[in-house]
Amino acid sequence: MWAIVKKEFKSYFLSPVGYVFIGLFLVMFSIFFYTDVFYYQSTNFEYIFYSGATILTFITPILTMRTMAEERKSGTEQLLLTSPISITKIVLGKFISATLIVVITELCTFMYFGILSFFGAPHLTTALVTLLGFLLLAMSYISFGLLASSITENQIVAGVITIGFFILTWFLPNFSDVFTDFSLINLFTNFPSGQIDIADTVTFVTFTIMCILLTVIVMQRRKSVR
Amino acid sequence: MIEVKNVTKKYGKTVAVEDISFSINDGEIIGLLGPNGAGKSTTMNILTGYIEQTSGEVTIEGYNTLKKPKKAKQQIGYMPEGVPLYTDLTVKEFVTYMAELKHVDRKARKDKVQKVIEQTGLKEVQNKLTRNLSRGYKQRVSMAGALVGEPKILILDEPTVGLDPKQITEIRNLIKELGKTHTIILSSHILSEVSQICNKVIIINKGKIVAIDTPENLENRVNKNNCLYVTVEDTENKIANIKDKIKEIKNIELVQENEDGTKQYLIEADKNVDLRKKVFSEFAKENITIFEMKKADTTLEDAFMKLIEGGNK
Repeated sequence: MWAIVKKEFKSYFLSPVGYVFIGLFLVMFSIFFYTDVFYYQSTNFEYIFYSGATILTFITPILTMRTMAEERKSGTEQLLLTSPISITKIVLGKFISATLIVVITELCTFMYFGILSFFGAPHLTTALVTLLGFLLLAMSYISFGLLASSITENQIVAGVITIGFFILTWFLPNFSDVFTDFSLINLFTNFPSGQIDIADTVTFVTFTIMCILLTVIVMQRRKSVR
Repeated sequence: MIEVKNVTKKYGKTVAVEDISFSINDGEIIGLLGPNGAGKSTTMNILTGYIEQTSGEVTIEGYNTLKKPKKAKQQIGYMPEGVPLYTDLTVKEFVTYMAELKHVDRKARKDKVQKVIEQTGLKEVQNKLTRNLSRGYKQRVSMAGALVGEPKILILDEPTVGLDPKQITEIRNLIKELGKTHTIILSSHILSEVSQICNKVIIINKGKIVAIDTPENLENRVNKNNCLYVTVEDTENKIANIKDKIKEIKNIELVQENEDGTKQYLIEADKNVDLRKKVFSEFAKENITIFEMKKADTTLEDAFMKLIEGGNK
């Protein structure tokens, strides 16, 4: 599995994908850092992540849309699926490498914490809890992105499905309160207040596991219908 | 040792491969032959575990592909059709990645990768990106990917498609060389290739096995009558008299009339008679000029066509 993690991670930086994702995120993040925090002379580092979550909603497909679709289209899927590695490990490998990119992005955002420390005293624990929540959100986004990428061989379609789903779940609570907990991005909102909500955490983790399992099932299923 | 027992693959109602069984012994070079869409790639994909059969059993070196897929896949080096490669990797990186996927021991990995790169003649291009290579080199890279990890069995899907004649000979020689130490299954629709390289041929048509035999036996199996092609200049149409003069001739048939006025005939005779001498002298007596004369050999091509046609009827 680590072979796949290593190769996928490297691929993110051999192609522009990794740079585009991190760069785009940081540029927008900087703008929100200025408008949400710096402008108000606040030291609430975690506030930026409300906007950060919005950015993530729109740029996650950059990371995930090609993962499975590209392999299928170019035929390299055959190399993977005929090597002595289980499908679960292939999917996990790709999931982990995409998650690593988000972790790197989070580490980069920490410089804003540094800047704020220079002017005041931002709360470290709250910041870390926020980063944890953000990572959980990213993981569930990535896992869904993988699933979308596995059902089509067209990257663009995979990307559109991913964003479409995120936006749909985002606005579902507006239609009825029943859907409050269906919105992934809403689940994140408690983290920046510095508390780890068990229910939210469990939902994120379950959603992630579910999507990964579904991806594995989709790939496995295709073996018998291909 | 590969054993395939009653394997059937269905897509909904269409049957891609129906009830095929065969076994391949160690060290054999097998050619999988058939027209396009006959089920060659499907069969190979089932062997490699890329797809699963609807029913039936496949065992590779004693490992069932459905029950012990990891062990079974470990025995196989696979070169897929159309040579898919990771285009953002260099040759060396690609082969190393393949080695990692096949769990080649970390310590020995570097040496084994180098060995395979040398074996496939990729040493000068090993630091080039695979996307910048010519088709022939890509084929070699794919071959290197299949070879790394020392699999006992090599499965090559259309290994020479899209290559120029020089590259084809090179790849064929490589396959022959590898055949000394590996069991090889290759698919092809080029018959001369199969008869040159393989010591056993499996002919598939419409998802069914039509014949399994050595190339020589297949040629003998559909032995045509003793036939002779002659191209003659015969303005007075005296060839009609010839049949009476040589008793062994059973039939003379006009094949085609050429633009320069010559005609090509097919002369059929009883078996075990060599007509050429008699034809030469009798034609001369009748003042028919022979431009060309050749014995019609049965080739694998004929065998193939005959077997395939038999299946279509």
